[in-house]
Amino acid sequence: MSDLSAIVSPPAAAAQPKRPLLQIQGLEAGYGDVQVLWGVDLEIPNGEITCIVGSNGAGKSTLLRTISGMVRASAGSIHFAGQDMTGAGPDRMLGAGIAHVPEGRRLFRGMSIRDNLLLGAYMRHDSRADIERDLEFVYGMFPILKQREKQDATTLSGGEQQMCAIGRGIMSRPQLLLVDELSLGLAPRAVELLGEALLEINRSGLTIVLVEQDVLTAFDLASRAYVIETGKVSLSGSTAELAADPRVRRAYMGM
Amino acid sequence: METYIQIIANGLMLGALYACIAVGFSLVWGVLNVINMLHGSFIVLGGYLAFFAWAQLGVSPFVMLFVVAAALFLLGFLIQYGAINRVVSKPVLLTLTLTFGLDLILYNFMNVVFEATPRRITLDLGSLGIGEVMLPYDRLLAMLLALAMTGILYWVLRSSRIGRAIVAVRMDRDAAALMGIRVNKVYAITFGISAMMAGACGALMAVVYPITTNTTGLLLGKAFTICVIGGLGSVPGALVGGLALGLIESFAGTWLGAQYAILIGSLLMLTLLMVRPTGLIGKRGYE
Repeated sequence: MSDLSAIVSPPAAAAQPKRPLLQIQGLEAGYGDVQVLWGVDLEIPNGEITCIVGSNGAGKSTLLRTISGMVRASAGSIHFAGQDMTGAGPDRMLGAGIAHVPEGRRLFRGMSIRDNLLLGAYMRHDSRADIERDLEFVYGMFPILKQREKQDATTLSGGEQQMCAIGRGIMSRPQLLLVDELSLGLAPRAVELLGEALLEINRSGLTIVLVEQDVLTAFDLASRAYVIETGKVSLSGSTAELAADPRVRRAYMGM
Repeated sequence: METYIQIIANGLMLGALYACIAVGFSLVWGVLNVINMLHGSFIVLGGYLAFFAWAQLGVSPFVMLFVVAAALFLLGFLIQYGAINRVVSKPVLLTLTLTFGLDLILYNFMNVVFEATPRRITLDLGSLGIGEVMLPYDRLLAMLLALAMTGILYWVLRSSRIGRAIVAVRMDRDAAALMGIRVNKVYAITFGISAMMAGACGALMAVVYPITTNTTGLLLGKAFTICVIGGLGSVPGALVGGLALGLIESFAGTWLGAQYAILIGSLLMLTLLMVRPTGLIGKRGYE
């Protein structure tokens, strides 16, 4: 794999490793009259992979959508890289360095893989050469995307679409990558490949938040985990600790 | 033989203007899911602006075209940003009603300010004669400019940054927002482009046909017909639909009389709705 540090911005808070990259306090949010999040507290350490697990409808996706500015918080605060980002819209969140790979990939139908990836860099005002180099980086990580560059992105297999969606997220040169349901509906082999790619991206310095229904996959990749139940954090800690916790084993691992 | 070539040439000259009318209407319908009842009035407004600049100040309509385009872009942008964006994600009937109301305001405003007297720009540039076939230079120039504007729009949508943003918003509003695209601004720009195309086309039409406020509904109907014939959601669809309607009206007008031209066009629309509702080259996306 070629120069990974080329694409990933240097971690902003590298000098103060204790300070979390993302800090969320008492976050409440929902859709219209339906409140989904009821006071979420969360700290995402810089440079790590953190996973958020929980059952269907617990509020994991809403949490990510609130972090990326798609859903407005009704209470609480979001601090990112030392800045108060509470109430910012998706363009400001992305501008600050938070990229969101949405559930179900949400690639643009009728557009080529290349155009989909370029839309990831929509907000950047870097030179064409810079963006072209990042495109080559994504192609280096997922060669299949290069081979099918001109093909309609939605004709790819599920796993390949997820590669394209992750690539599109990286094209914005974020500091924090939010990935919603990496493994949903994908073949085990594809999940394995994507997991390796995320680890590789993370090793180069990009902080990742992974939302997963599949707890085993999530704990495999992440070093820390939050368990969300009915819109609140019920448990948190290192994945090694939580994997041994009988409550987690019973509720989420079927053991 | 020459008669046929003349009819075809007339049809293509008319059709190019029709394509230019419809492409903006189709864009707004496809991207915003708004059926813009203001479209006919935008065309007439563009025509009036070009007429008065020519009649009072002696400005050539082919120069005024650019001023009209800029003015209508601004008007469209402001209407979308200030009014339609507030209800754009609501059911289509609500946006239709809003644009209908706005159209009543603009239509009556034009009636008061400009009056409904038909007016036409007469340039008398002469004609290009090829054998028996006569191609008036003003119509020829209007056709070429209409085709050029349609071509530029096609290029912008396919290859530019804002074009990619417009297509992305059309495909998936939420995913587009996640790319940092400001959806409301893209909507306003899209509506502005549509109004710009309509106004510029109106300026060109004033060279060929008399302009009057009474034709706003007729022009809106044509835009609708062309979108159904060509297929909604693409520039090529509007181009094919526009040229097809121009040719049909030209033939029907010559053989059956001018009063049948619109009837035949509408019959074709009905037939296509029954046998091929997606239109001749309809697509689900927009390009």
